[in-house]
Amino acid sequence: MSDITTPTWIDPTGAFEPEKATREVATNPHLSHQVTWAETRRFKPAMHPVGRLRYYYKWPGHGGALWWRTRYWPTRRRVLNIRGEYNPKTMRREKTIADKRPIWWTMAFTGFLAMPFLIPGSLWNTVMAAAAVFGIYAAINLCWMLIVGTAGIFSLASYAVVGAAAYGTTYAAILTGLPWWTLPLMGCFIGLVFGVIIALPAMRLDGFYYALLTLGVVELCRVYVVQSRVLGSATGGLYGAPSYLPASFGQTGKLLLGYYASLAVMTAALFVFRFVHGKRLGRVLRMAPEKKEAFAEACGVDYLRARVTVFLVSSTALGFIGGFYAIHFGGASPNLFSFDTLLLSLAMLVIGGIGRSEGAVVGTAIVVFVDRVLIDLGPLRYVIIGGLMLAVVLFLRGGLFGIKAQFRNWRDKKSSEHRASRAEKGGEMLPEEATETADKDKIFYRRFDKMQRDFLKRLVSDAVIDEHRTRPLGQHSEALERLLIYFRRQGQIDKYAILVLREFSAYRIVALSGHRGTAPRMVEDRTYPNADEAYHALFLRRVQDLLES
Amino acid sequence: MNSSFVISNAITLACIYGTLAIGLSLTWSSLGLVNMAYGFVFALSGYGAWLVAVNISDWSPVVLAAGILTGALGGVLVCAAAFIPIHDKPNFPLRALIATLAISLVGNQMLLWYFGPRAKSLPRLFGNWNADIFGVIITSDKLGASFSAIVLLTVVLLWMRSSRRGLEIRAMMMNPHAASIVGIGVRRTGFYVMALTGGLAGLASVLLAQTYYVAPFSGITPMVKGLSIALVGGLGSVPGAVIGAILLGINEALTSTLLGGQYVLITQFLLIIIVLLIRPRGIAGILDKAREA
Repeated sequence: MSDITTPTWIDPTGAFEPEKATREVATNPHLSHQVTWAETRRFKPAMHPVGRLRYYYKWPGHGGALWWRTRYWPTRRRVLNIRGEYNPKTMRREKTIADKRPIWWTMAFTGFLAMPFLIPGSLWNTVMAAAAVFGIYAAINLCWMLIVGTAGIFSLASYAVVGAAAYGTTYAAILTGLPWWTLPLMGCFIGLVFGVIIALPAMRLDGFYYALLTLGVVELCRVYVVQSRVLGSATGGLYGAPSYLPASFGQTGKLLLGYYASLAVMTAALFVFRFVHGKRLGRVLRMAPEKKEAFAEACGVDYLRARVTVFLVSSTALGFIGGFYAIHFGGASPNLFSFDTLLLSLAMLVIGGIGRSEGAVVGTAIVVFVDRVLIDLGPLRYVIIGGLMLAVVLFLRGGLFGIKAQFRNWRDKKSSEHRASRAEKGGEMLPEEATETADKDKIFYRRFDKMQRDFLKRLVSDAVIDEHRTRPLGQHSEALERLLIYFRRQGQIDKYAILVLREFSAYRIVALSGHRGTAPRMVEDRTYPNADEAYHALFLRRVQDLLES
Repeated sequence: MNSSFVISNAITLACIYGTLAIGLSLTWSSLGLVNMAYGFVFALSGYGAWLVAVNISDWSPVVLAAGILTGALGGVLVCAAAFIPIHDKPNFPLRALIATLAISLVGNQMLLWYFGPRAKSLPRLFGNWNADIFGVIITSDKLGASFSAIVLLTVVLLWMRSSRRGLEIRAMMMNPHAASIVGIGVRRTGFYVMALTGGLAGLASVLLAQTYYVAPFSGITPMVKGLSIALVGGLGSVPGAVIGAILLGINEALTSTLLGGQYVLITQFLLIIIVLLIRPRGIAGILDKAREA
C-alpha cells in the first residue's frame, strides 16, 4: 500500500477562500475504473502465432473460368469436384479440390501400369506373379466389399463362390473342351446359382448367425473338394482348364500378360463396385444400416430386396472372377476354401477399411505383398499380417482409410475439452446457484459488485487512509471519494453506524440491524472522544471488511 | 463298419463337439463375443497337454488337468487381447469377431512355427480295454471321452447354477447392461467366462486327441462343428446346444450308414439351413430372449 511516487491532491474548494493556503494532500496515482473490467473480460487463452491451420491447398481462381468446368461425356459429372469460394480476408477467388480421390486413383493406375518396368530384375518373377494374384484378389475383395460393406450381409462365403465357379468351369472345360473365353461367362452363371442358394438364408438370418452359417458352407466346400476323387483330391486341386495365355509367349511375356489381364479384371470389379455402391442401390442401402432397418422400412425403402440384389450381382461377378481364376491358373485348388485364405482375405478387407473400394485395393496390396513377396520370412509373415489386423481392429474404427476421420474426431474432441477447461467463473455466483436464482439481475449485480470491489481494493493505500484520518468529512481526493461512495451505498443490514453516548465526548461504533424496532448491536466496547476519531475508526473497519471480502 | 460302431462314434463326437458348442455359446451369450479364436485355444491346450505328457507325467488326470489349464490360460489371453480393449467401443461385436480371427491366425502360425507341422499324439488316457454294453462293443477311449465330457459339463453347469460367480455369469447372459449397473464387473466376468470356456476347449481338445492328433490347425474343424451345433441349438442356450449336439450326432450316424461318409457335411448343413430357416435363432433360442448383437 505504499506508493513510490505519491502525487498530491489539491482541494478544489480552496478557490473559495483565496486568502488562505490551499490544502494539499498526498494521494494515489490515478487508476482508471476500467482496469478490472478490462482484466475480467480479457481474452486469456494462449493463441498460437500461426493461426488456424489450413488443411487444404487453395488454388488460385480465375474470374473468366468461373463457370467453365470439365465434364466427361455421357454424364454431366465433373472430372474433379472443385469448390470455388471467395476468401473473406483477401477478397480473392479461391478453388479447393473437395475430393482428391480421382487424383489418387489416376496416380495409382499409372503406377500399376508402369510397375513391370520399375521392378528390379532379381525380384521380377516373384513380384509379377504376386501382382497378378493381387489383381485377382483385389477384384474378389471388391465384390466381397459390396456384400459386406454395401449390403451389410456379413457373408464369409465369397471365396467359396469363387472356388465353386473355378471348380465348376474347370470340370466342364475338362469334360467338353470349351474354349477359354467361355469359362468366365459360365462362371457368372455358376456364381449366380450359388449366390441364390446362399442368399436364401440371408433373408431370414441376420448378423452373426449368417456369418457362422457361411463359415460352415466354406468348410463344407473344402471337405467336399478334398474328399471328392472327381475334383482332384489326389492331385491337390483340379487342373487342366484352357489358358488364355498364348503358348508362344515366353515366361516373361506370360507373366506380363497375366498381370495386365488381372489388372483389367480388377478395373472391371472397380466399375462394378462404383456402379452398385455409388448409384441407387448403394444409396438405398446406406439408408438402411444394421439396426436401423425398421426406420428404413417405414420410409418405404425395400432394403431386403436391395440387399439380395447386391448379393446376387456380386455373386455373379465373383463367379466371373472364378472363371478367370480357372483360366489364369489353369484350374482350381482347394486352397480357395481354406480357413487361412478366408482369414487372409478378411485381413485385406479389415486393414483397408470396410466399405470403401480404396480400402479393398490397398489392403489387398499390403497383405499380398507380405504374403507373396516376403516369402523368406516363413510363418512369421502370417504373424505380421495377423498382428496388423489385430492392431487395426483394436485401434482403428474404419481401417487405414478411416484414420483421417478418426484423427479429426479426436482432434475436435481434444480442442473442445480445452475450450471447456478454459471457462472460468464469471462472477460471485456459482453456476449451480445462478440457475436456482429466479431474479437474474442478482447474478449480474453480484458479478458487477465483485469487479467493483476488486477495483476498490487497489485504491486502498496509506495515503488515502491518512487523508481520511486528517479530515473524515468534507472534500476528498478521487480515490477516497470512490471508496466512501461505495461504503455509503451498502444496504442497511449490518451497516456500521456511530452511536452518540454523550455529545462531543463519547462515541461508539454499532452495526445497524436493518429492521425497524430491532436495536443496533454493539461492535466493540471502545468509546471515542470525538466524532472525527469515530468516523475514522468506522472507515478503517469498512476498509478492513472490503480487503477481507 | 457296423451301425453300432457308427452310433457310438457319433455319440462320442457329439459329446466332445457339444462341449465346444457350450463353450462358444456361453461366450456369446454372456460377453457378446463370437470367439473365433476357439480353434486356436483348442490346439494350444492340446499342445499344453502334450508337453506335460512328454516332460512331466503321462498319468491321465495330470494330462487332462494340463489340457484344461492351458485352455483356461489361452481363454484368458484371448480375453485380454480381444475383449478388454474394445468391449466398450463402438461396433464391438464385429470388431471382436475380426480380432479373434486375427488371434486365431497369429496363434496357429505361432504353433506351426514353434512345434512344426508334424502331428503329435497324446498318450491313451483311458487305457486299452473294451466294454460290452447290450452287445455293443465300445472302446475305452470313446467311453472315457463321453463319460468325462458329460461329468465335467455337469460339474460346470452345476457350478453355474449354484455359485456366486455362476450367478454373475448368468446375470451377464440375461442383460449385460443391467448386470453392470448392479455391480457385476464386466471385465472381471469376462475373464471368468473366457477362462471357463477355454477350460472346456482344453477338455475337448484332450478328449478328441484320443481319436485324432494334436496339430497346429487341428482346432479349425472342431470349432466349425461346435459353431454349427451352437447355431442349430441357438447361440446362448445350453439345453439348445445339447439338443443340437444330439441332433447333429444322429444326423451324422444316419447319413454315414445310409448314404456314406462323404455326404455327412452336406446333410449336416442342409439340416442346419432348414432349422435356421424355420427358427432363425436356433432350436432353443426364442427371438426375444436371444442376445441382441
